[in-house]
Amino acid sequence: MSNPSPRSHLYRLGVLLVAVFIGLLVLKAVTTPSSWNYEAWYRGDVLTDMSNQPLVHGGNDSCRDCHQDEVNKIKKLKHKRLSCEGCHGPLADHVRDGEKSADAKVITESRWQCLNCHGELAAKPRGFPLFTSEVSKHRGLEEGTVCLKCHDAHDPTP
Amino acid sequence: MDESASDSPKKADPYSRRVFLKQIVSGTVTTLMIYTPGARGGHETSRIWKQRSTEHQWAYIIDVDKCIGWGGCVRACARENNVPDGHFRTWVERYIHTEDGVYVDSPKGGSEGFEPVKEEIRDKAKYARFVPKMCNHCQNPPCVQVCPVGATFKSPEGFVLVDHEHCLGCAYCVQACPYGARFINAEINKSDKCTWCYHRIKQGKLPACVEACPTGARKFGDLKDPKSDVSIILQQGHWTVLRPDMHTGPTCFYIGLPKEVI
Repeated sequence: MSNPSPRSHLYRLGVLLVAVFIGLLVLKAVTTPSSWNYEAWYRGDVLTDMSNQPLVHGGNDSCRDCHQDEVNKIKKLKHKRLSCEGCHGPLADHVRDGEKSADAKVITESRWQCLNCHGELAAKPRGFPLFTSEVSKHRGLEEGTVCLKCHDAHDPTP
Repeated sequence: MDESASDSPKKADPYSRRVFLKQIVSGTVTTLMIYTPGARGGHETSRIWKQRSTEHQWAYIIDVDKCIGWGGCVRACARENNVPDGHFRTWVERYIHTEDGVYVDSPKGGSEGFEPVKEEIRDKAKYARFVPKMCNHCQNPPCVQVCPVGATFKSPEGFVLVDHEHCLGCAYCVQACPYGARFINAEINKSDKCTWCYHRIKQGKLPACVEACPTGARKFGDLKDPKSDVSIILQQGHWTVLRPDMHTGPTCFYIGLPKEVI
């Protein structure tokens, strides 16, 4: 029986290192996404994934698809620049697959709906129409009356 | 000779009127060349953002003087992007500058509007503003730099985005962001932030917060289009960014930002 080589422990270490190196290469190949962008360092497919996120708000243009007359009418009124969905709720709650799925109700008709924008606060921009907190001084107003009883939400001229 | 004797010391004199005038003129011309924007090869604004070779170059503008703090933008964002309660991709802060210092609040991210402040603060107030905040989509984003797995990145068109499939939720980016724009979404345990509504832009719409804004305080557009709102407003030059000292190069520009705002 011949004596084992005096360097056999080095050979074994070498084989182990090569095996670990190959193992790491395999691990990298398996875990790296196929669309990996090596220049900018991100998964390329993520951009497609993200652009497929469903729309919830359609914007005022999407309202015009069905409610052309109303949208055109509001274009001439005071609140023409407001987002319809801000008060009536998002498109996704109203239309599904191109069909009406539920009524687009006004979220709330409470006084808050108006005072949310027109309530008096120190930080409001100059010139913005504000309704003072002294509600009782408003002509003939009882506690608890909603603004929409007298004012038109789309054209709230005083 | 008298003439030559009086001439030669004149030429050597470093303080002669001729030398003085020459140096004044050349110095002025050099200084002007350094500080003239044209001499540096570009319009004033082109030094602020790197020109991208893509079709679009998006920018966001927040006009502080127009914000009424109604919070519809915050509500629209939360609904559009399914943001869990208590977290905000965009939020509105109220800054009240008083004699004693600056009072800042943002109840529920401003999503339900603001209540009047206490009388003792209101009476001392010099001026007050609503300041909407969000991810600044920096040109040199610190959050992208620290991400260990490449889950957050800068897209070719300038969006700073998070790949939820790849993110580990280690929250390094949350710490790195100087604007506090990132958070860990507790529902999915991943980092989350404003995407400028990437999906809406790709479908030709505006971000949900911009659509919701009734006063035009929030604007979004393409800098490659010289007729877009953002191009025209930025050309006027009255803008600033948050934390310019961080050298992050935000592409979210503010108009009328009070100097107290950080």
